Formats: sequence, structure tokens, C-alpha cells
Amino acid sequence: MAVIADAARRDAGRVVALGVLGLGSAGLALVLPAALGHALDLLLRGEPAGRWTALCALIVGVQAATAAVEDLLTGVTTARATAHIRRTAVRHMLAAGPRAAHRGTGDLVTRLVGNASDAAGTPASAASLPAALAAPVGGIVALGLTDPWLAVVFLAGAPLLTLLVRHFARASADCVTGYQHVQGRIATLLVEALGGARTIAAAGTKEREAARVLGPLPELAAHGRTMWHVQGRATAQAAVLVPLLQVAVLAVGGIRLAQGALSPGDLLAAGRYVLLATGIGVVVGQLGAVVRGRAAAGRVADVLAEPVPAYGQRQLPPDGPGTLELRGVTAVRGGETVLDGLDLTVPGGSCVAVVGRSGAGKSVLAALAGRLADPDAGTVLLDGCPLPDLTETGLRDAVGYAFERPVLLGDTIEDTITFGPRPLPPRAAEEAARAAEADGFVRLLPAGYATARDRAPFSGGEVQRLGLARAFAHPGRLLVLDDATSSLDTVTELRVAQALFRDHPHRTRLLTTHRASTAARADTVAWLDSGHLRALAPHATLWPDPEYRALFGGEDA
Amino acid sequence: MRKFSSRKGALGATRRPGAAAGHQVDAVPRLGPAGAVEEPSVEGKAASRPRRADAPAASASRPLRLRDALRGQARVVGVLLAWSVLEAGQTFLLGYALARAMDDGFLRGRQGTGLWWLGLAAVGVPVGAYGTGRVFRGVAALVEPLRDRLVRRVVRRGLGDAVRGGGSGAARPADSAVVSRLTHQVEIARDAFGGLVMVLRSFVFTAAGALAGMIALAPVLLLVVLPPLAAGVGLFVAALRPLARRQDRFLSADEAVAEECGELAAGLRDITACGAREPMAARADVRIEAAQRAARSLARFGVVRTAALAIGGQLPLVLLLLTAPWLLSSHRVTPGALLGAFAYLTQSLQPALQNLLHTLGAAGTRLGVILARLTAPEPPEAPELPEPPAPPAVTATEPGLALQLRRLTFAYGPGAEPVLRDLDLGVAQGEHLAVVGPSGTGKSTLAGLVAGLLRPAAGEVRRNGEVVLVPQEAYVFRGTVAENVGYLRPEAGPDDVLAAVAAVGADALVAALGGPEGAVDPAELSAGERQLLALARTYAARGRIVVLDEATCHLDAAAEARAERAFAARPATTLLVVAHRISSARRADRTLVLDGPRTVCAPHDTLLAASPLYRDLTAAWSPAPAG
Repeated sequence: MAVIADAARRDAGRVVALGVLGLGSAGLALVLPAALGHALDLLLRGEPAGRWTALCALIVGVQAATAAVEDLLTGVTTARATAHIRRTAVRHMLAAGPRAAHRGTGDLVTRLVGNASDAAGTPASAASLPAALAAPVGGIVALGLTDPWLAVVFLAGAPLLTLLVRHFARASADCVTGYQHVQGRIATLLVEALGGARTIAAAGTKEREAARVLGPLPELAAHGRTMWHVQGRATAQAAVLVPLLQVAVLAVGGIRLAQGALSPGDLLAAGRYVLLATGIGVVVGQLGAVVRGRAAAGRVADVLAEPVPAYGQRQLPPDGPGTLELRGVTAVRGGETVLDGLDLTVPGGSCVAVVGRSGAGKSVLAALAGRLADPDAGTVLLDGCPLPDLTETGLRDAVGYAFERPVLLGDTIEDTITFGPRPLPPRAAEEAARAAEADGFVRLLPAGYATARDRAPFSGGEVQRLGLARAFAHPGRLLVLDDATSSLDTVTELRVAQALFRDHPHRTRLLTTHRASTAARADTVAWLDSGHLRALAPHATLWPDPEYRALFGGEDA
Repeated sequence: MRKFSSRKGALGATRRPGAAAGHQVDAVPRLGPAGAVEEPSVEGKAASRPRRADAPAASASRPLRLRDALRGQARVVGVLLAWSVLEAGQTFLLGYALARAMDDGFLRGRQGTGLWWLGLAAVGVPVGAYGTGRVFRGVAALVEPLRDRLVRRVVRRGLGDAVRGGGSGAARPADSAVVSRLTHQVEIARDAFGGLVMVLRSFVFTAAGALAGMIALAPVLLLVVLPPLAAGVGLFVAALRPLARRQDRFLSADEAVAEECGELAAGLRDITACGAREPMAARADVRIEAAQRAARSLARFGVVRTAALAIGGQLPLVLLLLTAPWLLSSHRVTPGALLGAFAYLTQSLQPALQNLLHTLGAAGTRLGVILARLTAPEPPEAPELPEPPAPPAVTATEPGLALQLRRLTFAYGPGAEPVLRDLDLGVAQGEHLAVVGPSGTGKSTLAGLVAGLLRPAAGEVRRNGEVVLVPQEAYVFRGTVAENVGYLRPEAGPDDVLAAVAAVGADALVAALGGPEGAVDPAELSAGERQLLALARTYAARGRIVVLDEATCHLDAAAEARAERAFAARPATTLLVVAHRISSARRADRTLVLDGPRTVCAPHDTLLAASPLYRDLTAAWSPAPAG
């Protein structure tokens, strides 16, 4: 996996050190029982064992030091790799822009946070894999070297162990499903009740709602208890095996001791080797971590595979009128052609309203106009320059956007309005807010413009007006309003429109709308139908057409 | 125009400090704005009453600690410990039988005796394992109640936060955060607590079995083994608190990264459109760096664990070797006993200690942190939002009025400009009043004040009857039609339900759902269908003062008209409609035009002459094109 390999390369020294240290400590773990056994034999025979005792102490000391360094290296390597992968993925996601958003916020966060850290643990897990494998294999070999019969006894009993462990995995998976199902039911009930908070508050039925949401709780507890019981049975079965293997090996070892083939020290060592050999579970766990890490890296790699739009080197002609041209523009979304060879010119300084049924491609057109997306065919030009030829800064400075559901960013309300590539002059936020009819409600907030954004509850209409203020605060030659006044009442919308015409009379405006009153104020209406431009004319000219009127059906009735 | 005026009043002088901040207001008569002694307002009474039904939950809202989970569980803990004795017995036997098998059997060439002792140890194994199996039942009896408590807290807390401030959304937690708490964090706590109980108990009983075994073999062995073991465990226990702090910082830093990434991911379109890619990447870098520092600091602390394991688990081995000549020569210890002691150390104590340190270090500290978070008493943010006051009491109004607002003033924060200022309004019994005005002039705030969801900063609301509020976002829950429609009047029979359904025009919908006993799945219904059910529920309710706060915005104009007429014709009903369409105003007896200082209340024809805003509104909302 490129993600993991890249992270590992950046920390190659540490990763290699981890592998070497791991093998070293596995070796020490294998030598210690033998040394201990030998020292014990010397002591039991009444011979001086000072050197062997010292050797044991040395091994124990080095083991502890190695383990400490290993822990530290693992932690540091993983932390560095996590940060590196997250930084890379975040930058890539931002560069890909709205194109990456199709995955959904929750999914992206999981990939950037959880999956990134899982993937980052992989170099360390992989580096210690040889050591994890060396301990059990070495244990079996050491057992065989101590006495072949001991290895035979162990190898005969071991397959049983594997069978039991597998049985446990299956048994626990079954009852987990039932548990998660009930948990999901409680979560659904709770989310529904949260959505009805105002009704519940008004009716004073909070306690009743809590009881209703918690209704399935006894069932959850019953499933939960079953899980523990199943786990208990499985653990008990597994817990029998390792000690029984040990006793069996010791029994055979005892017989060999009585025959004079083994010493008490060998027997002590054998007991320890059985334990090391049964550590095969560690290998499985470590392998599992590597496999999980690879899967996680794959999920991060999906984000890194999102195509990033390239920007050009051209600058827009200074003082251009802001003429927007779409030439043969085709856009495909979800396999369907939403715009089909569309030609449209918005003359500099004019205002064009784009109307059409839901799904007619209005928002796609709005996105193409400022290069939030690229067309699948055709060209979009601003003052004669194809958008992909422009520099990123040049393009973003020239085109402003306001959306139906703007996402507000920045810490305070002021930051939210001035949000952009560079700081704006003081009072810019207030002026823009006044034009967007947002100044009034911002002043009602506890700390006005300095109020923290996440402390201020906003209605859909207020959020829209802050989004408009943000667009107004960054003047450019083209302003795209994608249904950006849909939640405003008509009076407020009218005032916003008036401010827009008054403050920026020369700005080209492209707006999509569902409202007849908004379309009526535009110079020209572009009527989109089945991916084509059905008509391009003033609202009053189109109004007699019943099909045109049906576009605004019911809404203003 | 009946009893209506609007003045700019000097608020600061009369508003009681803290009243807006949701502090308890005492019930002593107080000076009104005009200087006259007033009856305590409805809100004052409500605030001074003992807290509502959620009082037990509130009193239990201090952070939950680990020992709370064990309190009152003496019997369960007893059973758990009793079964654990079997495990201790197994540990005891493994070392003791080995020692006896050596001393009495194999070392003397008596294989039969040796095998007999080892056979005894083998018999002990399934017995001990049976105990382990039973221990899990005890763990279940400990862990599941804790999980139940956590789920209850998360649910109550989520609902409480959502309802606080009148459910306006100010303190409303994000759905995803609540779901994550409910499914993810509660599960971490559950697994961690279960693991902790198992490992802690296992260590104690393994250590007890091993130490008992050493006493049985030769008590002097304890002198060698116990001090380093105690020192190792002691060192780690001492380090637990700083470790927990680091763990807490690590989790917080990681959450901050997740939060930042969530903002970025949700705002990709807007970040691109604003050209703010670089500053946002730099912001994310800061959080990512902080998380890295926290992770490294946590990793550095892992050294303590290694040291504790070396001292408690490995040092006794070395000490035993060093003292072995003395132990053996003075015949305090037999060769078999020495072998048994080594076996206890390497096969039982060391693995148990390693398990303990690992679990305590990871799961234990994490559990403490998550428990503290899940059960934190009150959100530190939004302190100015009051608890929702009690359902408003019925109070005397002037004769003939259903609703009376007197110098009503409301602001969303102590420093904020009031949304409503000195509003006076009387609504007659049976009257049908519409409320219109531009966004942000306080239409929904007024609805919330009338329904008692918000507490006025000054002035009062008098209600001569129970108020039912229907908000824009209709609440429909999983259940039957009858449960949903009868929500505000549980004693309603099927006939009442059907009558209400028919009155508001939801009969076709209910028929499609399968009648009153038909199942309702909110996710399957459109927004308009949910609003119809909420309207039927309101129609069936006892309350006689009905407030529709844009409650029909997802219905078409005809359906909206039918529903509004149904409420206007409902017996003894006073109707207040916060209008979504101007047509609502045309149907009302009077219309309140909220427009700051130019607020007026009058019938349609009067308003056309008196209110320029009203003229604008009616013109702007008329279907003919303006241009």
C-alpha cells in the first residue's frame, strides 16, 4: 500500500530499529528460560552459579530496556505516521474540493481520522511481526531441543487449541448482531425524538419520550448478558487448553527426568517454552492488525485517488466586464446527462436567472460557472479565458458564490462573513451583513459579530443571509447565487436584491431560483429543460406560457 | 385595534439581573416597569416550584465514577469473587503439584507419585476454567446495569439538551454526536469495564493462588517475591492518574482533529468557492500536530509500564536466583519448592501482571475518561439558556381574553438587543389571529413565549387556558396512528382520533396507513404528511389555545386553508397562526404585523391602509409577476 509504504519510508530508521529490537527481545525471551534452568541446575547441585545468575540478571535488564524502547518507538512511529497521513489526506481532500464531497462527511471523517491512525500503526505492527512469529516458533524448537518428546506432546495438543479459538469467534459474532440491532433501534428512536424537540418541549413530555426511547433497553440488556455468557463458555473452553498442555508436557518431562534424560532446570525451561509456543495467538493478533491496517490504508488511498483539478497560469484581463460563456457544455451526474451541449452567454454586468424543474441541472450549471466542477465536455469562459487556464487565486477572486444551504466556517460571526484566503479590512463584515439583511439579527446575538459561531442558533433564512454576506464581502466580477435566497421571505429577499444592485451595479450575476418574483427581477431568464436551454427571454415574455408558470406552481399561490 | 401598543422602553432599569440568564426568579411580588406592585408572573411561579419530573435525573447528574458502578452490587461481587476462588485454586495447584511431583516423585525416581500429583493439577484445570466461565455471568451482572445507566443518561441528556431553550436548536446536540455517544462510546465503556473487572480480578486471584502456594511450599519465599511485586504494582498505581490525564488529552486532541475534519469535509464546496483552501489546511495542521504531541506524550509514559513490569515480574526471578544458595543450603526450601516458585513466577504471576498493566493502562484510563465525559453534569456551553419552564399555568386574564401579553420583552442573551420589546397584546376567546413579518422579527420567539417555552426578560404572558404549540418541524414517532394522534390526550378513543384526523384533512393519509392502528414510520412519510399527523394530534388535544408556528408550511395552499379553517371552527378555540403564506392572514380575524417599532395589529383592511410593510407583503406574495 502506497500510503503505508510512504509513511514507513519517512520513518525508515525507526521501523528497522523496531524490527531488530523485536527480534532481539524475542531471542532474549528464548534464551532466558535456558539460562534460568541452567542456573537452577547448578544451584540444585550445590555448585557456584554466580556467572549464570549474573547472565540471567543481565538478560532481564536488557529485556526491560528493549521493551521500553520498543514501546516508545512504536508510539512515536505511529504518531508521526498518523500525522503525516492525516496532513496528506486533508490537503488532498481540500485540493479535490467539492468533487470529494460525494462520499459524505461522516465517511470522509472516518477515513481521515480513524482509518488514518489504523493505517499509521501498520509499519510498527509489520516491523514486530517477525518477532511475534519468532517467539512461538522458537518456543516449539526450544522445546524440541530440550527434549524431542516434549515437542511431540505439544504439537499433538495444539490443533485442539486452534479449533476452540475458532469456535469462540463464530459463537460471539452471532449474538453481537442481535445486540447491535436493538442498539440501532434505540438510536433511531432517540434521533427521531431529538428532531421533535420543540414539540416535546411545548408538551412537557420529555420524561415520557425518554421512557419511550428507552423501551427496548431491557431487550438490549438481555442480548448483552447472552454475549457475556457465550464469551464465558468459550473462554472457559480455551482456558482449559493451555494449562492442560503445560501439565501434559510437564508430565512427560517428569518421566524423562526420572529416566535421567532431563534436569529440573530443563523442566522449568520447558514449562516456559510451552507458554511461549502458545503465544501463537499473538501472531494472529499482530497479523490481524496488519490486515486491518492495510484495509484502512486502502480507505485512505481512496481519498487520495480523488482527482485534483489543475489550475493554469493565466490572469484575467483587468477591468473585464465579467462575461460568462458556456460553450457546448455537457455534464453527467450519476450516469444521467443533466446538461447536454448547453450554450449560454451571460453578458458582463447583467443578471440571468436560471429556472427549471427540480433536477433540471440548475445547481450543476451554477457549479460549472465558477469551476466548482468541470464539465464532462465543452468549455466555460470568463471574459474570454477558459476557466481551467486561470490561476486558482485569480479564479476565486473573480467569482463569488452564495448557496441555498451555505456551510458557515470560521470561529466567530465576523470570521464567518470574512471567510476567505486573506484578511479583510475592518468593518467589511458589517457592511456586507447590512447588504445581506443580516446585520439586524447579528446585533441581537449575545456578543454581536464576536459571538462564537457554534454558540449561535440560526434559522435556515439566517444562515442564508450570512452566506450572502460572505459572498458580498468578497467582491469579484461574477456572482453566482445558487438558490441563495430561497428561505428568505419576499420582503427580505427584495431588500437583499436591491442592495445587490445598488452596491455592485457592474457585477455579473447568475442566479438559480424556484421563485417567480426572483426570476422577474432578472434581466433574462434561462429556462432549463432536460439538459437543454428551452428559452432565454425576460420573465414577462415567458409568463403567459402555462408550462413556464407551472415551474413556480403552488409556491407563491 | 384592541389593547395594543408598542413602545421603546428603558429596559435596563427594570430588568432583573439574572432573569434572562435563566436563574431562578423568586416569587415575591416585584415592581413592574410602571412601578406598581404586580402579582408574581407566571414564569416566576413556575421557576419557584420544585423542579419537574426530571428531578431524580437531575440530582443524579454528577459525573459517574467507577466505584458507583460497584455500589449496591455487593451480592454480585460476592458471587463473582466466590467463583474466582476456583481460579486461584487452579493456580495454587499448578505450582504446588509440580513441587510435590518433583520432591516426592520424579526426583526420587517415583514416576507414579509424580504423575499422580500432576494428574491432580490436571483435574484442577477444568474446575478452574468452569469458575472462569461462571465469572463471566457475574461480570454480565455488573456491566449490563452500568451500560443501562449510561444509555439512560445519554438518552435523557440528549433529550434534555434538545429541549432546553424551548427546543429552538440552540443547545441541541448534533444527532451524530448523540448517536456516537449511544453506540460507540457507551460500548467502549462497556467493553473496558468488563475487561477491567476480568483482568483485575484475575490478577488478584492468580496472585493470591500463587502466593498461597509459596506459603504452602515455604513461607520464606514470600520475603523474596512479595516486595518487588508490591513495588512494581505500586509504581504503576501511582502513575495511573498522570497516565489518565495524558489519555484524556490524547482523546480530546483526536476528537478535535475529527471535529476539524468534519468541518472541512462538510464545507468543501464553500472552502473551494471562497478560495480558502490554504488557511483551512493550515488550521487542520495545527490540530493534527497537537494530536501528534499528545500521542507522543502518551507513548513516553508507556515506559513506566515497562518499568513496573520489570520490577514486579522479572526482578523476583533474579532475586530468587540470588538467594537460592542460601534458601537451599539452610533447607528452608526443597528443590521442588524452588522449581514450583519459579513456575509460579514465570507461568502465573508474570502473565497476570502483564495483562493487568496493559489493561489498566489502556482500557482503565480510557474508561475513566469516557465515563466522566458521558456523565458530565451540564454542558459548559450556552449557560444563558434556561431549563424549559414548566408547562405554563392557567392565569387570570381580563374578562373575554384567552391570551394577554403585557409589556413582553425578550432577548436571546444578556448583551443582545431584544427581539421583542414591550409588546402588549390581547387575544379574545375564540379569536383567530395571524402573525406575519419579515424573517428575524420574532414570530417564532413570540410563539415560544406564548407556549411557555421561553421565559420573557420582562413583562408577562397570561393564558386563560392550556396552550398547544405546533412547530414547523412536525414530530411524528414510530408507533401507531392512534398513538401519534392521541399523544397529547392519551385517553382519546378511536372515534376521537378519527374525528380529529377527518377535521384537519388527514383522512386519506390515515386510510393509506391502515387506519388508527396502522403503523407510522416517520422516515416513510413526507414532511407534509408528518405535518398533517401533527395537526390531527393538536386537534385532538385538550388545549384550547392553539399556536401554529408555520406548522402547515409543507402543505399545499388548499390543504393549509382546510387545516386552518378546521382549527378556527374547533369549539372554544383561540387560534394563533404564524403565517408562512400571506393567505393565512386573509383568513384571520386580525393580523399582527411584527416589524420592530412599527409593529401593528389589526384586521386585513385596516392594515392595508395602516402598514406599508403589510402592503409590501401582500403585493410581494401575490401570484402576478412584478416585472
